[in-house]
Amino acid sequence: MSGALERPVPVPATGAATAAVPVLHRSRARWAWALGALAVVAWSLAGAGLFSGEVLNPAGARQFARFAAGALSPDLSGGFVRVLGTSALVTVAYAASGAALAVLIGALGAPLLARTSWGRGRSGWAGWALARALVAVPRGLHEAVWGLLLLNVLGLDPWVGVLAIAVPYGAVTATVFADLLEEVPRGPREALLAAGAGRGTSALYALLPAAAGDLLAYACYRLECAVRSAVVLGLIGAGGLGYQLSLSFTSLRWEQVWSCVYALSLLCVGAVVAGRAVRRRLADPPPAPAGERARGGPRLHRDRLLTAAVAAVAALVAWSWWYLALDPAGLGAERTREQLSLLLAQSWPPRVSGPLLGSLAGAAVETVQMSVVAVALATLGAVLVSGPAARPVHRPGPVRGVLGALLRLGLLLLRAVPAPVWALVLLFVLRPGILPGALALGLYTLGVLGRLSAEAVEELDPRPAQALAGLGAGPAGTWFYAVAPRAAGAVLAYALYRWEVAVRDSVLVGLLGAGGLGAVLATALQTFDRPTATSTLVVLVLLTCAVDLVSARARAVVR
Amino acid sequence: MGAAVRLEGVRVSFGATRALDGVDLHVATGERIALLGPSGAGKSTLLNVLNGSVTPSAGSVQVLGADPAALPGRAARRLRARVGTVHQHLELVGALRVVHNVNAGRLGSWPAWRAALSLLRPQGVAQVAAALEQVDLLERMYERTERLSGGQRQRVAIARVLVQRPELVLADEPASALDPALAGRALALLSGLAAERGGSLLACLHDPALALAHCTRVLGLVEGRIALDAPAARLTPADLADFYGVRR
Ligand SMILES: Nc1ncnc2c1ncn2[C@@H]1O[C@H](COP(=O)(O)OP(=O)(O)OP(=O)(O)O)[C@@H](O)[C@H]1O
Ligand SMILES: [Mg+2]
Repeated sequence: MSGALERPVPVPATGAATAAVPVLHRSRARWAWALGALAVVAWSLAGAGLFSGEVLNPAGARQFARFAAGALSPDLSGGFVRVLGTSALVTVAYAASGAALAVLIGALGAPLLARTSWGRGRSGWAGWALARALVAVPRGLHEAVWGLLLLNVLGLDPWVGVLAIAVPYGAVTATVFADLLEEVPRGPREALLAAGAGRGTSALYALLPAAAGDLLAYACYRLECAVRSAVVLGLIGAGGLGYQLSLSFTSLRWEQVWSCVYALSLLCVGAVVAGRAVRRRLADPPPAPAGERARGGPRLHRDRLLTAAVAAVAALVAWSWWYLALDPAGLGAERTREQLSLLLAQSWPPRVSGPLLGSLAGAAVETVQMSVVAVALATLGAVLVSGPAARPVHRPGPVRGVLGALLRLGLLLLRAVPAPVWALVLLFVLRPGILPGALALGLYTLGVLGRLSAEAVEELDPRPAQALAGLGAGPAGTWFYAVAPRAAGAVLAYALYRWEVAVRDSVLVGLLGAGGLGAVLATALQTFDRPTATSTLVVLVLLTCAVDLVSARARAVVR
Repeated sequence: MGAAVRLEGVRVSFGATRALDGVDLHVATGERIALLGPSGAGKSTLLNVLNGSVTPSAGSVQVLGADPAALPGRAARRLRARVGTVHQHLELVGALRVVHNVNAGRLGSWPAWRAALSLLRPQGVAQVAAALEQVDLLERMYERTERLSGGQRQRVAIARVLVQRPELVLADEPASALDPALAGRALALLSGLAAERGGSLLACLHDPALALAHCTRVLGLVEGRIALDAPAARLTPADLADFYGVRR
């Protein structure tokens, strides 16, 4: 240690503390989790073949260059733009009707999942636990998996796309709605019940108003997500922008691919901007105009913007219902019921032969490794970009401003393009295996996580960092002492949430050939090996639940 | 004796508010100044001009012989490391342990790798312990700062400037959350810190008795202007009561 840096502090003549200096006790749990996480990441990287053998495929470099060059010359010819417009309408229609149905399912299902509605005692607890366990099945399967299953029952029907979104989303929405309702304080409702109100009316007056803002905000968020899911469903054949993207991709027309990418980005930005505006407004409603209060007598004041937004969403849902020509009769038709019972009969019982279980275990390991590599890379990237991508408090200099804008745009592109598309692009330059799948998922997750981390940094109070800059700390010191410690908890929690999502998404990448459980499922579905498909689905759901549990435990430690 | 601070015609505006409205101030090295004034008078703003975190819209600033706004990056950092501030709202990071918040006072002289390493294995623990002992907080050294009480946090902020060892000590109500005995000690520590390096102290205080006991000169700020400037020896508590009374 150099003397100049270790100047003694003045007053006590000895320069050191006279009382006993305390001993540093580190949190065992945190260290154990941190070391465990590092070990798992290293194991996953090894599994992805990073430390062994060749991963690069130099032969594809030229194709990749041609692809990259397309970014600057997208196909903007009138004909193709018109095609993109119609495709975007289809995507929006699937997203709107799927999300609307999901919210409906969520609203109806929430009471079944709320602890309070099951009564006290052991039987109440058992009923509630069973309901929660059952809902894990629709939640644990990716929209694309639902799409493929529904295709078997309904054939080529627009309901496939709508239900593929509505079923998993409905399950998640019901769980979240139930949790939101549980968080409302009990007092007001019990007062109404004590005063003789019925269960329904008391909920209407005491539960719903308290939770309404959060419920609506979550519904909005689901609509944004549904746009992305609709694109993914397009990739596997449901039409819309995703379908157009895969067509252009398989015919190697890179200019068109990039036009699709830009259209997707616009669509995602539109959904996110609109959703965020509504959520901000809900969180922070404007005060009633002062003039109105002065002008005699109180009046019921509705927020115009919110009313307009609700009306617009209702109109959008009605339009998409019409545009997709959804026919409720189709769901109850004789043929559908026959197909469903046929499918169920063929799928049960699941296959449990030794070799199959062995290969399923191997595939599950691959899926976990793929998701771990993806989230680890995304977290690393997000930590690196969160600082520069965050909007600074003060007006930034020109370099910082342009860099920030470029990074935010880059993150937007990363998350607007579905992970399977990234996987296909990476397959130009990488050998097939779990690495391209993991990197593709990682790129997509980086897009999401980078934005969330930048937002976490933006939300920090800037003054502690300014105080450190004021005493001469450089950018690195300020980052380590004022930014990182305060943002770390939120960023790690987001990363763990995204891990659950990545496990689900890795199945999607696998369906398109990147290995893991998704690949097993794809083969089983293509060969009509229904019992194997059932076993795979069971393993998938169990895996999702396990990851859910581990991630929840880790989040508790991070907090 | 050289000048620690020289301000001429300094103005600071936040939108329509004039926080400082033409302040001229000359502080000689070694002076200990108490800054009094009603809430909103511009005291914190004045300190923030001196530590370089607020740049005035007009006027000239010289701190330890240089203008913080005019220096290029590295030189500005070096100058800032020589000016230590106890902020009114402390600006500690609750998620860090006390030892790291105190060590943050040395970020102006530590290279980045050492700053990062210290978060894993605390560096310069002896100095941190000595500083914490002076503010009577040694046993909380490894606690997370957010678990501390308001007065304890204030003492952590004081320990931070103690390890920074600046030549110009700026303290914004450093004793507002402390009991009378601790408050007296805190001020004694800060003026001792300034004196030890032949430096100066500028402290915003709301307690006239503390001001007269620890400072050599008293400045009164009202609506962004200096309305009182006198040696402490010539002032009585009654004079200071008058100063506040004028406003009421
Ligand atoms: N960052 C800021 N943005 C806008 N206005 C500010 C800002 N900082 C200070 N002001 C305004 O400048 C004026 C002076 O503020 P300052 O904080 O310097 O007062 P003060 O004398 O320290 O008051 P107190 O004793 O309450 O701490 C106030 O009117 C305040 O509202
Ligand atoms: Mg102040």
